Amino acid sequence: MALGLLLAAPVAEAQAPAPPPRRPAAQAPLPPPPPAPPALPAAARPPLVAELSQAQVAITTGFSGTEVLVFGATERLLGAGGDDVLVIAQGPAQPMVVRRKVRVLGLWLNGASARFWRVPGYYLLAGTRPLAEVLSEEERAAKRIGLEALPLEAAGNQQSEFREALMELKQAAGLWGEAGSMHIAGARLFRASLPLPATVPTGDYLVQVLLVREGRVVARQELGFRVGRVGTAARIANVAKVQPVVYGLLCILLAALAGWLGSVLFRRG
Amino acid sequence: MQVYLPIAEMSVDALLLLGIGFGVGWLSGLFGVGGGFLLTPLLILIGIPAPVAVASGANQTLGASVSGLIAQWRRGNVDPRMGGVLLVGGFIGSGLGVQLFAWLRRLGQVDLAVSIFYVVILGSVGALMVRESVRAILRRRRQGGPARLHAHFWMHGLPFKLRFRKSRLYISVIPPLLVGLAIGVLSAIMGVGGGFMLVPAMIYLLGMPTAVVIGTSLFQVVFVAANVTLLQAVQTGSVDIVLTLLLLIGGVAGAQFGASMGTRLRGEETRALLGLLVLGVALSLLWGLVVTPDSQFAVGPMPL
Repeated sequence: MALGLLLAAPVAEAQAPAPPPRRPAAQAPLPPPPPAPPALPAAARPPLVAELSQAQVAITTGFSGTEVLVFGATERLLGAGGDDVLVIAQGPAQPMVVRRKVRVLGLWLNGASARFWRVPGYYLLAGTRPLAEVLSEEERAAKRIGLEALPLEAAGNQQSEFREALMELKQAAGLWGEAGSMHIAGARLFRASLPLPATVPTGDYLVQVLLVREGRVVARQELGFRVGRVGTAARIANVAKVQPVVYGLLCILLAALAGWLGSVLFRRG
Repeated sequence: MQVYLPIAEMSVDALLLLGIGFGVGWLSGLFGVGGGFLLTPLLILIGIPAPVAVASGANQTLGASVSGLIAQWRRGNVDPRMGGVLLVGGFIGSGLGVQLFAWLRRLGQVDLAVSIFYVVILGSVGALMVRESVRAILRRRRQGGPARLHAHFWMHGLPFKLRFRKSRLYISVIPPLLVGLAIGVLSAIMGVGGGFMLVPAMIYLLGMPTAVVIGTSLFQVVFVAANVTLLQAVQTGSVDIVLTLLLLIGGVAGAQFGASMGTRLRGEETRALLGLLVLGVALSLLWGLVVTPDSQFAVGPMPL
């Protein structure tokens, strides 16, 4: 057993000349000797691995917000002077209208508006360091990373104020953010939490995990999870969508029944 | 205790909804109004999206009014014939109102139109009711004698007369039909049952006695609210049954307390209180239009 470990370690060293020295003793499981990977090229070793804590976020009738964890490991060291990891979670896009309020004769009314066709319902970015320190402005714009670089094409009014208002209001609602928390353990393991408020839109979410080295994205992994209603909540929403007439009649009956029940109960009481 | 609303796609405090339901139900039983004019603004205030608030408000109004209607029916305070005539007008009116609503929506100012409708209608109805009932109370204190049942004017010369026994009226069907129609139009635009407008219209325009007015208006509100619920469920899909039922649990309890309390109040006093309440809602909505908003911008989903 000891012999196997001694043999495996130098082989690994020889295969990957570029990365910093590895410490096999810390990771090697003791009982069965791991068979040395036969002649894998250096490029095939993943520089980044990431996974989500869950693939499905279930919205039940008691749902009041939750948290999805993104965790993973890098091949090289993370932190100051080393690599950086960025986690970007994006929710399904929705069309939105931003209206400016104007004062006419003392009353506030909706004035000019801008229409945004594809507004992500959720956007959260978490990084080992603040985004501006990790990537340059050109790189952020080219890769469309960060709130400022979101591709929000507006129809109608093109003034930037509408875009800024959209940013502000979405951030105030806790649906958009650029300063998600990222926890690093042992300079190689990272863990980011994506807080999902109760108002989180349903649909498919895309989570991109980017490995950044010297201001360049060198590796990326795409993960996804689905936010969906389950149980009673799902059944109600489904009937309302598929059979609106039946649902409407059911609502009328249920409401009338509740009213009648109440009057029966309280007459005796 | 947080509860997730499947259609509104958000979670709210169940106790808050029960409390709102109780308060509105209490008023519904006391005054014979569905309480939609209070409920819809309150729901929007706690963050429920406006279409869901309007549609579920109508559905809750239906349930609360059924409870109130049964209580009033037992006391013999419903004039079914008058209710039926009002209802025919109401269905035609709400059909027209839905068309008007769609037209306002195409113009892009439906929020403002609804707010102004609320302020103008609630304001004038409330002011009229307070003025009239204060006068009636003063007159009763001074003279102590019974006033005439109702004043006679040109309206009473119209054809197609019908005897409404419970209301002690022998009048043409045209005025109640028109009243029902007007209320139907307004209730479709404002997303309410229309009881708060129907009550004064029945008293001042038709000259019905207050005792019968409350039960009969509940009769009309039940069917108009059912119609609105169905239309909203089919057209906008924004009726949230979980929200409705939570509001109703509080509401049916409140309605019973309100109805038994209402029988102890004099007609003029009931009307003065309802008038003050309506006026208060109008003023707070006007305040919302006038006060400088926190943000100069509003974000909303794209209208279909």
